[in-house]
Amino acid sequence: MAEMWINMGPQHPMTHGLWNLRVKVDGETIVDAVPEVGYLHRGIEKLCEGKTYTQVIPITDRLCYGSSMTWSHLYCTTVEDLMDLEVPERARYIRVVAIEMQRIASHLMWLAAYAGDLGMSVGFTYTMRDREVFVDLLQALTGARLTYNYPRIGGVAHDLPPNFERDTMRALKYMEMRLQEYEDLFEGSKIFMMRNVGIGILRSDDAVNLGITGPSLRASGVSYDLRKDRPYEAYEDMDFKVATHKDGDCYARYRVRMDEMWESCKIIRQAIQKMPSGKWRVVAPRNGPVGTGFGRVEDPRGEGTMYVVGDGSDKPYRLKIRSPIFVTVSAAPTILVGYKVADVVAIMGGLDMCIGENDR
Amino acid sequence: MSEGGRANSAGARDMETAPSRIDANPEDRVLRALAETFPKGVSDGEKVRPGLIRARVDRAELYSACRTLRDSLGFEHISMISAVEYDNRFEVVYHISSYGSRLVIELIASTPKDDPSVDSVSSIWGGANWQEREAYDLMGIVFKNHPKLERILLPKDVMYHPLRKDFKG
Repeated sequence: MAEMWINMGPQHPMTHGLWNLRVKVDGETIVDAVPEVGYLHRGIEKLCEGKTYTQVIPITDRLCYGSSMTWSHLYCTTVEDLMDLEVPERARYIRVVAIEMQRIASHLMWLAAYAGDLGMSVGFTYTMRDREVFVDLLQALTGARLTYNYPRIGGVAHDLPPNFERDTMRALKYMEMRLQEYEDLFEGSKIFMMRNVGIGILRSDDAVNLGITGPSLRASGVSYDLRKDRPYEAYEDMDFKVATHKDGDCYARYRVRMDEMWESCKIIRQAIQKMPSGKWRVVAPRNGPVGTGFGRVEDPRGEGTMYVVGDGSDKPYRLKIRSPIFVTVSAAPTILVGYKVADVVAIMGGLDMCIGENDR
Repeated sequence: MSEGGRANSAGARDMETAPSRIDANPEDRVLRALAETFPKGVSDGEKVRPGLIRARVDRAELYSACRTLRDSLGFEHISMISAVEYDNRFEVVYHISSYGSRLVIELIASTPKDDPSVDSVSSIWGGANWQEREAYDLMGIVFKNHPKLERILLPKDVMYHPLRKDFKG
């Protein structure tokens, strides 16, 4: 049969953002794929060079609308490494609570989109409703619902609001009940399982060589989580498991993210219980030193890293942002070839695309 | 009894000063292996903090140093490739991590302003492919032997490299 190219995007329900996936098909089977990105490039790295260190924090929030807290947190840890600042103990715990809440909210938003992609509208409405619980908590904590501007260089902007511990514990109890229900709902659906099991298999050596990180890597059987392997903030004191799966298919990626939400609930509960009292912020100097800083965190989508170069002024000389999904999407052809056009939605949805951080 | 105790403590002291104990620390082991394999190519190796080491590499030996890092020292994942412009040079900074020993090495290759080019490492790590294209697109570093060195974030007909300091929006 004659081969032909199909453009899936830039306007396509599968893309969840502006990007284009060109697939070459032979009948229904994919023989080649070329992702095209850059539609949302805002020049954030250049933009940061003209702002002071503090002014950059709200910009890094805009990297990903799904998990803005982890990005501003990553930027703050990177600049703290440059300035050699020690963050107070309480701020470390507050940051753990905030970024784990963000991880749950981000995974729930992924699950909503994924359920919608695979034709389960009930999954979309349930998960978006329960995401509100955590968005409300983050609103109480930071004052914003999507782009929080909460971490600061040297701590966090302010302390926990009144009754935050009580509300969080209630939300966690509710969430664990709901997670159980999601598992029954999704895995009890024959269509959902048929579109997931055995689709988009990614071998572990391919995943490592192509630079895939985060849940997609752990779903291929490689147990690597920076929270465990190179603990930052207060993760050393937390007792949790790294979620892995050995199959490497779409179901494994779904399963790993579900398990991560269970573990995040455990981490938040421990962080609230162990939270010490004291200061939550130290004052950072306005000017950074001459030198470099390097930060690395486990973003909901993978390994997020930043590299900052300081020239002694109050502005970063150069800020390089490594987006996990930028590298993951470059591996899409390896995963897609050999499957059917109808599987593209499940495979690309299962990678949790976020174009804001991808294009920067 | 007392003699035995003396012998034990002397043995412990010998252990601490024995040459093999230097390499008990994974950071030092990697730095020493790099310095021994590339006596001219790799310089200024230092341990920045636990888990992060830094070294400068001559761009002529960058490819073979990277191959040694992956094949013999277990650095199987390339985290990030950054390009930085300074007054008299460009620097391409590779952050390469190891899943086994949990280390990150920051490998810095300098290239002159009039010939900003280094060897591509995308045949070693597939994950370097798009990151090198991005560095080419935004900073204008040419990666030799790259399979498809094209612009990735900006349109193909753009004539400038916006992250260079002489580019004013």
